[in-house]
Amino acid sequence: MEKIYKVNDSKFKSIYLSYNFTFETNKEDIPKNVITSLILSKGSKKYKTSKEIEKYLSSLYGTNFDINMEKIGDLYNIEFRLECVNKKFLPNNEDVFKNAINFLSEIIYNPKIENNEFDKIIFEREKSFIIDKINKKKDEKLRYAVLKTEEILCEKEPFGIYIYGDIKDAENVKISDIYDAYQNIINNSNISIIVSGNLSGYEDIDQYLKEIFINRFNNDNEIDKTLINKSVKRKFCVEDVKEIKEKIQTNQAVITIGLRVEDLEQNDFYALNVYNSILGGTPSSKLFQNVREKESLAYTTKSRYYRFKGIFIIYAGIEESNYERAKKVILDQISDMENGNISELELNSSKQSLVNDLLEWNDSKISLAKLAYTNAINNEKITIDELITNMKAVEIEDVVRVAKKVKLQLIYMLGGEDNEK
Amino acid sequence: MKNNIEIINNDNLNESIYKKVLENGLEVYICVKKGFTKKIGMFGTKYGSINNDFVDSSTGERINVPDGVAHFLEHKLFEQEGANALDLFSKEGISSNAYTSFDQTVYYFETIDKFKIGLEMLIKLVKTPYFTEENVQKEQGIIGQEISMYDDDPNFNVYFNTLRAMYIKHPIRIDIAGTIDSISKIDKEILYKCYNTFYNSNNMFIVIVGDVDVENTIDIINENIKLYENVNNKDKVIKFGVDEPKNILQKRIEKDMGLYMPQVSIGYKLEPAQKNDRIKIEIIADIVSDMYFSKSSNFFEIEYNKGAANDTIDFSYEGNKDFAHIIISTTSINVNEIEKDIFEYIEKIKSEEIDTELFENTKRRKIGENMVASENLNSSYRRIIDSILNENTIYYDIEVLSNIRIEDIKDFLKTLELSKSVISIVK
Repeated sequence: MEKIYKVNDSKFKSIYLSYNFTFETNKEDIPKNVITSLILSKGSKKYKTSKEIEKYLSSLYGTNFDINMEKIGDLYNIEFRLECVNKKFLPNNEDVFKNAINFLSEIIYNPKIENNEFDKIIFEREKSFIIDKINKKKDEKLRYAVLKTEEILCEKEPFGIYIYGDIKDAENVKISDIYDAYQNIINNSNISIIVSGNLSGYEDIDQYLKEIFINRFNNDNEIDKTLINKSVKRKFCVEDVKEIKEKIQTNQAVITIGLRVEDLEQNDFYALNVYNSILGGTPSSKLFQNVREKESLAYTTKSRYYRFKGIFIIYAGIEESNYERAKKVILDQISDMENGNISELELNSSKQSLVNDLLEWNDSKISLAKLAYTNAINNEKITIDELITNMKAVEIEDVVRVAKKVKLQLIYMLGGEDNEK
Repeated sequence: MKNNIEIINNDNLNESIYKKVLENGLEVYICVKKGFTKKIGMFGTKYGSINNDFVDSSTGERINVPDGVAHFLEHKLFEQEGANALDLFSKEGISSNAYTSFDQTVYYFETIDKFKIGLEMLIKLVKTPYFTEENVQKEQGIIGQEISMYDDDPNFNVYFNTLRAMYIKHPIRIDIAGTIDSISKIDKEILYKCYNTFYNSNNMFIVIVGDVDVENTIDIINENIKLYENVNNKDKVIKFGVDEPKNILQKRIEKDMGLYMPQVSIGYKLEPAQKNDRIKIEIIADIVSDMYFSKSSNFFEIEYNKGAANDTIDFSYEGNKDFAHIIISTTSINVNEIEKDIFEYIEKIKSEEIDTELFENTKRRKIGENMVASENLNSSYRRIIDSILNENTIYYDIEVLSNIRIEDIKDFLKTLELSKSVISIVK
C-alpha cells in the first residue's frame, strides 16, 4: 500500500505535511494515546523542551507544528502537522522544509526515553492537562450538548467516547502505560504521510521522506475498514427513541436530535450529504427556514452528518419553554424528508452548495490533504471532479431512499434553568 | 488602465489591489488573487454598534438610538419583500452572511462560478430595505436567542467585562447585539432612520477578493448601484463620539458561570493612535506577544510547568481612532496566581534588556506568517477594510515589519501602565 501522497499546486506559497497514525482503539486506551502524543510534541532528545521546539520553529521562518487527534468512525487518528514556506519565497532560498522534516522525525522517533520510561515530570503535567481538558468540556454549552449526544447515541462504540477519553480512564493512566502506548502507536498503526501545497523544487520529496523515515513505515499494518462506516451495518439502531433532559444553569437551552442510518452502503455517501444539506446544512434548509425564520424559535439551528459513522446530529439553541414546539417542528422536517416532501429547488440549491464546498477545497492545501488522507484510509483515489460528478447525479428519489434508512434514536435537551430571571 | 483606477501592487504577496471611488462617493477595492477558485464580494458601511449618537439625515436632528440597532439592521436587511436574502443566495448555490462589529457592518457572499449574479444580489440586498412591524417583531425572537447564546459563552463574557471595566463612557462597553430589553425598543421607524443615515454610498465601501476581471467588475458595480439610488444624499454622516477619560472605570469584574476552567482577561487601557501609527503598534504588540507570551517564551514555560497556564496566553492590541487597549487572556485553574504573575512580569519586562536574538527570530517568524496568511483570501479583505476604516496605507503592515527596532518594543512596553489596568474573571 502507498504511504506517501503528494498534492502539488503552484498557487500556494507554503507546504503542509501531515503524518498520520491510524489505529483501532478502545475506551481505556484513548487517554493513554492522547497523553503519549502530547508528551512527544513537548520535547525529544534533541529539542528538550517545548520552548526549545518553538524557538527552533521560529528560526525556520515561523514553521508551524502541532498535533491533532480525530475519531475516524470507530478508528482513531493521531496527526503530526507541519506548515512552512517553500524555499522559493524565502530570503536566500533557505530550505526550511527539509529541516522541518528532520525535526518531525526527531520528535516522533527520538523521544526522551530512559530505561523504557518517559520523563516523569512531563508525564504528570500532560496528564493533568488532559484531565483538565476533559473536565472543561461542560464549559461550552452548545458544544457540550452535541458531544453528549454523540456519547449517548454511540454508547457502546469507540466513537461515543470523548476525543480525550473518559475522566476515570485518564486519571488511571500510569507512566508505565506510556512506553507501551508509544510502541503500539509507532509499530501497530497504519501510517500515511500527506504533503500538499507548493512542491516546486520538492518534486522528489517522497525519496527524501523515505530516507529520513526509513524502516519507519514499511510495516504492513492495514486498518480494518469495517470500522469506518460499515460498523453501522451491525444493526446498532434502537427501536425505542430515548428522550433525555439534562439540567444545567444556562440562559439558553439546547435541543439536539440524534439519528442513525441503518444498513449504510458505501455509495449512500452522496445522497446522505444532499439529505443533510436539504435538512439543515444551509440557510435554505428546512430547519433554518422553519425553526428559525418561520417560527422564530432559534438563532442557531443546523444538522451535521458524520460521514465516518453514519449518524446525524441536529441542534438548536432555544428558550426552554419552547422545547415541545421546537421538538415538533424539527421532527416534522425529518418526516418531510422521509415522505419525499422535497422540491427540485431545494435539491438543486443543496447540490450546488455541496459542489461549491468541494470546489473550494482547491483553495486550501489542508482540505486537499484531508481528501488525500480519506482516500488513503479508504484505499481509493477519488478526485474532487469525481466527487462533484457523483454529487450532481443525486436525484430526489435517492434522497428519499436514504431518508427511509435514517432512524430517529435520541431527543436530548440541555439546560435552561436561568430562564425565569 | 482606464476609469482612473489606482493600482497598488505587492510582489511579495503576489497580489494587486485596484481602487476606485465612484461618483456617488462609494469606495471600491478589488484585490486580484490569481489562481484562486473562490471569489468574495463584500458591501459594508462604516457604521457599527458604537454609532448610537448621530444626526438623523432625514430631519437634521441629533438623536440617540437603543443599543443593538446596527446589528438588528444587519439581520433585517436580509429580509426582502416576500423572501429572505440568505435563502435567495443559497438557492443560487451562493453562500452569504454578514457581521456587525464596533465600527462596521459588512454583508458578503462567496462563490465559485456565480460572481456576477452574487454581486448583483448583494447590491440589491443592501440597497433595498424592507422593514415591517411584523418582520421586526419576528426578528426580536431570533436575536433574543442570539443574545442568550452569547450570555452563556464564557469567552464573550470575560472579554466584554474587560471592556466594561476599562471604559467609562465609550459605547464600546455596550454589547454589539444589545440586550433583550434594548432590542424590544427597536421599531421600523428607528431602523429606517439609521438606514437612511448610514447606508448612504459616501459612507460605504465594496471590497472584492479573488481571481476576477477588474474593469468588468467595476462596470457591474456601477450599473447596479445606479438602479437603487433611493438614498443618496451627498452630506457627510455626522457621528458623535464621546470624550473618554484616560482612567479606568473599575479595577476588577468577576462573574460566576459555574465553569470548571476559569478564564482571566487583563486589560491595559492605552492612548488611541492614528492611521499608520496604529498599524505599527499592532505589529509591535504582535511581536511582544510572540517574544514574551507564546510557547517559546520563558514565561509560558514557567506558568505551564507549574500548572497555571494551559493552551495559550493571548496578548493582543485592539483599537481605532478613539479607543485603544491591550488584552491579555488565558484560562487557568489558578486564575489568581496567573493574574498576579502577569502583572509582575509586565513590570519586569518593562525595565529589562531585550534579547536581540529572540527579537530577530520573532521577526523571521512574522515574515513566514505573512506569506502563509496570503494564501487565504480573508487576510486580503481584512487588510483592505482595516485601511478603509482607519485611513492607513494598504500594505503598511508588510512594509513596517522590517523597520521595527528593539527601541520600539521598549517604548511600547512603557505604555502599559499598572494604574490603567483591569482584571476580568469568569469562573
